[in-house]
Amino acid sequence: MSSMNLRLGRTLIYTLLIGFALIYLAPLYVMLVTSLKDIEEIRSGNLIALPENINFSAWVKAWNSACTGSECEGLAPYFWNSVRIVIPAVLISTIIGACNGYVLAQWQFKGSNMLFGALLFGCFIPFQVILLPMAKLLAWLGLANTVVGLVGVHVVYGITFTTLFFRNYYVAIPNELVRAARLDGAGFFAIFWRIFLPMSTPIFVVTVIWQFTQIWNDFLFGVVYSGPGTQPITVALNNLVNTSVGGKEYNVDMAAAIIAALPTLLVYLVAGKYFVRGLTAGAVKG
Amino acid sequence: MGAITIQELTKSYGETQVLKGIDLAINDGEFLILVGPSGCGKSTLMNCIAGLEDITSGELFIGDDNVTNVNPKDRDIAMVFQSYALYPTMTVERNIRFGLEMRKYPKAEIDSTVKDVAKLLQIEHLLDRKPSQLSGGQRQRVAMGRALARSPRVFLFDEPLSNLDAKLRVEMRTEIKKLHKRLGTTIVYVTHDQVEAMTLADRIAVMKDGVVQQFGTPYEIYNDPANRFVADFMGSPAMNFIECTVKDGNVIIESGGQHHEVKVPSTQALKSSGLDTVVLGLRPEMITEPKPHSDSGYISQMSLNVLVTEPTGPDTLAFGEWNGQEVQARLSPEVGVKAETEGKVEIQVDTGKAVLFDPKTGARI
Ligand SMILES: Nc1ncnc2c1ncn2[C@@H]1O[C@H](COP(=O)(O)OP(=O)(O)OP(=O)(O)O)[C@@H](O)[C@H]1O
Ligand SMILES: [Mg+2]
Repeated sequence: MSSMNLRLGRTLIYTLLIGFALIYLAPLYVMLVTSLKDIEEIRSGNLIALPENINFSAWVKAWNSACTGSECEGLAPYFWNSVRIVIPAVLISTIIGACNGYVLAQWQFKGSNMLFGALLFGCFIPFQVILLPMAKLLAWLGLANTVVGLVGVHVVYGITFTTLFFRNYYVAIPNELVRAARLDGAGFFAIFWRIFLPMSTPIFVVTVIWQFTQIWNDFLFGVVYSGPGTQPITVALNNLVNTSVGGKEYNVDMAAAIIAALPTLLVYLVAGKYFVRGLTAGAVKG
Repeated sequence: MGAITIQELTKSYGETQVLKGIDLAINDGEFLILVGPSGCGKSTLMNCIAGLEDITSGELFIGDDNVTNVNPKDRDIAMVFQSYALYPTMTVERNIRFGLEMRKYPKAEIDSTVKDVAKLLQIEHLLDRKPSQLSGGQRQRVAMGRALARSPRVFLFDEPLSNLDAKLRVEMRTEIKKLHKRLGTTIVYVTHDQVEAMTLADRIAVMKDGVVQQFGTPYEIYNDPANRFVADFMGSPAMNFIECTVKDGNVIIESGGQHHEVKVPSTQALKSSGLDTVVLGLRPEMITEPKPHSDSGYISQMSLNVLVTEPTGPDTLAFGEWNGQEVQARLSPEVGVKAETEGKVEIQVDTGKAVLFDPKTGARI
């Protein structure tokens, strides 16, 4: 193979990659520039042109004064609602998943495979199926329209995934490690705490990113199980875009959409490299 | 103290019985080696002793305590695993400390124990490293250190040297032997390596299919095997097994075109068994070039047609045929060269240590 051919191949690959990257990034670019234009410029100008002068007023409005239905307080209150839902839901489901995974992977008991099968099945249950029974249950528990109720729903729904992640990670850890620790006098929790958790960083990152993205981006549970004061940001964004007082304010819509997406973007930027590493990492080498 | 008594121990996984009634009495301070082909249940037996697997039936005593249903951590046993099973996120020092911390030893005592163990095993310079930064031999030492730190009543070693290269293996073997001399703690040790078994053991238990075939000193196992399996399993190069016809309590060997009537030690037993064919077991070192002064009363001279020779250095193995079956002789290198070129060699056969087996059952006669 000549170096000429090699160069040609390279060029082709890079052209394709750059081309696809551009296609992927184009919507983001349009959102960003649109959010920085004023409404006059949007109406008259070109969709992909850069803004003539940068204008943050749409962002300010989206954050604290845009109307989402009858209220006009912007996304800010809902953003904090989401934070209050996501953080406990992610933490609780991840921690429970780690415990479950540890037990299922390293402490075989009668019916443990059955249980794991049932949990796996949980991954495939569509949202829609549980909507009504869950609503009944929440009402019965007195948790309808509350943050606690929403956290509970997300935790329950997320446990199947978090358990699966941790179980598959822990299964690759040699059983001899547990045996050695048992002979060393460590009990069930000591082994989990002192041996398994310290080598779980990659899978924690994977699980947290996954759960964070799922729960932050969730719309269906949010719209069904939340009340006026507890709606998450996705629901508010939908209301904001659908509420038009006067003309459509594309710049505010775009800014709001970016605000709603920002936390997940941030999580990926901060922890993304661990994400890939965690997905590909097998067990920790002895 | 550290004596182990195993009575009628069985272990089943579901329908399949892996250990079929093991009886062993291991003395305090004894070095016991478990050998046997892969899958015969050695590791399972170790795990049962350690309490990591539940016993299906039978009893287990350590010292005078019945530990059949005692939690592994309360049996006062330390184990070195084949994979070493070092805790990957902990430094070497914390690996060694772990067992002591879990048992709530005072900190000062832990510190001094770690120091002593590290010094004994010469791993002081490695204490701050993680297991992944160690070589195989160093990991092995750390695993031993972790076991030693607790000064248990019994050590269990499951093929601890099998991941090391040949040279290191010999070194560590010697060290383990020294260590045992020094500590005097009971050791149960699994290995595949014949030499390891012969050199380390006070006694050897040879297992097959979940049954102990023979339990005895290395000398007994080697020279007085209980059956054909044990005779075949122990010793390298392996024992010769030649099917022979019996005549007046002697066996007939056809070699180099001539028939020889050869005297064997167990004449009486052979006669009373009433067998007309028998399997003669004879180790290759008993078939040599003629040597002066060898006179056990069981010496015969014959010639052997040599098909092929294999020089091993200190001596040469020559392959020929007796009764149409392959036989190995162990010649000096000089005679070996001659045998190879001439295709024929004069040999002396010493049947003083020959053993006889029933051709059908493989039982010793
Ligand atoms: N958890 C288990 N479930 C079912 N069968 C098992 C289990 N563990 C071991 N066995 C079976 O028990 C038998 C003995 O296994 P064991 O590990 O004790 O063999 P071993 O003598 O240590 O072999 P090796 O020399 O290869 O280590 C094997 O046939 C194995 O397939
Ligand atoms: Mg084994």
